[in-house]
Amino acid sequence: MRGRLVLQYAMSAAVIIGAIGLWELGVKTGYLKAYQFPPASKIAEGFVEIATTGFPTGITIWSHVLTTVTRILQGYLAAIALAVPVGLVIGAFPLLNKALEPLIVFCRSIATLSLLPLVIVWFGAGELTKVILIAYGCFWVMLSNVIAAVVYVDPVLIRAGRSFGLKGVALYREIVLPAALPRMFAGARMALGVGFMVIVGAEMIGTIEGLGALIMEARTFYRSEITIIGMLVIGVLGFVISTGLAALERMLLPWGSTLEGART
Amino acid sequence: MTVGRKGHSQTGEDASARAGVGPSSANAIQISNVTKSFGAPGHGPTVLQNIDLAVRENEFVSLVGRSGCGKTTLLNIIAGLERPTSGTVEIHGREVRGPGQGQGVVFQQHALFPWMTARKNVAFGFRDKSLSKSDKEERARELLQLVGLSAAADKYPREMSGGMQQRVAIARALALDPEILLMDEPFGALDELTRIELQQELLRIWEARKKTVVFVTHSINEALVLSDRVILLAPHPGRIERDLAIDLPRPRLRTDPRFVALHEEIWKGLSS
Repeated sequence: MRGRLVLQYAMSAAVIIGAIGLWELGVKTGYLKAYQFPPASKIAEGFVEIATTGFPTGITIWSHVLTTVTRILQGYLAAIALAVPVGLVIGAFPLLNKALEPLIVFCRSIATLSLLPLVIVWFGAGELTKVILIAYGCFWVMLSNVIAAVVYVDPVLIRAGRSFGLKGVALYREIVLPAALPRMFAGARMALGVGFMVIVGAEMIGTIEGLGALIMEARTFYRSEITIIGMLVIGVLGFVISTGLAALERMLLPWGSTLEGART
Repeated sequence: MTVGRKGHSQTGEDASARAGVGPSSANAIQISNVTKSFGAPGHGPTVLQNIDLAVRENEFVSLVGRSGCGKTTLLNIIAGLERPTSGTVEIHGREVRGPGQGQGVVFQQHALFPWMTARKNVAFGFRDKSLSKSDKEERARELLQLVGLSAAADKYPREMSGGMQQRVAIARALALDPEILLMDEPFGALDELTRIELQQELLRIWEARKKTVVFVTHSINEALVLSDRVILLAPHPGRIERDLAIDLPRPRLRTDPRFVALHEEIWKGLSS
């Protein structure tokens, strides 16, 4: 059993290494142009450069990451802090929910980056604009999920709560709220994904710091390997933060469905 | 064609005569002329029509009938989870105006709170605010012992089998110390062996705690094994078709000829 697994991993690794090797070979023999398809060796060189002297000179990958993560977290946390209470209130009143639904769907459907020109007109091209764009994107996703989490609580649980004489605020606090938590966590993970999608676009204007700016700047200088590094780092960051959120969820909601507990 | 009230079995008495349909404070549950229809008055379907039923204290009564005969609706009305369109339900002489008036409910699905361990779920049932948290946990432990689940106290519902979940649900309903226990096909989703085991368990608890039980089931066997009385409901609109006393000593054997005869009689009543 273990032997099979090792073999499986070895084969996966061999396929990846083979593909990278072929790519490298393609560039060496001139079939692929290095500025269009930078090979692994070039990307590795680029990474050393960006980690030490930085790109543009003086701004290392670490400060790009720090800047981007700070912007995402500011917008994201603001969105969550606003969306949770607003969603809990809307979800509690079916009539209010029905009335607001078209507006929420409309706002959520607007591609966040299409708001960029307007937001720049309103708030300038500074930090605030980037944070607001991220917050906007995260907010509507989180809001929809909080409302759905409350509205779709298993009616069996609500009836059970009512059978013990709970109603009104007590029923909402003791039954609806905890029952809605797993779905709210799922919404928080989705919203974070949106934050990462928005950031690259939001950083393309008015800054040379941040991973989005790095990617755009690299394009200006035909440094495709730097663009690829930017993409890879965003991917790794998203993965790490998403995994962290999942771990947090397992810690806070040990009873939830993501837990791989043994069924006896 | 209905099997008339004259068609008695050897042991089945027309129990409503003994229980007394008229208003009586001796009855644990008094259902008087209850009608339930959905939608606009006079337009929606009538689920229950003119139901009169009296259940004595400590009596174990089963409601049996086809889907759509309104047995679950009737149970929900007794539980105070639904309001009748007309008519009244009284528990020990007090009119039911909502839940929490001495009714404990066990649902078809276990309906345990997934974010609470077995013990917390049971402790939730103690709504008495004067009890301290440790008091509740201690009593929850006792109830879990009663349903034979001491070892699973710290498990979450999703870590338990269907039978264990329903045991916890029973313990949680008992935590209210309800005057009447309302059970809506509580064993319907369980496998046959677990079901029989829990039926025996329920009888043991019922005898130990002396509760009035109203039990909804679509299993004739289950009703006969458990009940003092079996109420047959007929659909469209839901109404009481027959009211049979089951005067067999417990534990009851499914092979007992009287058991078989009663089974046959109920079966005929349901298929008419």
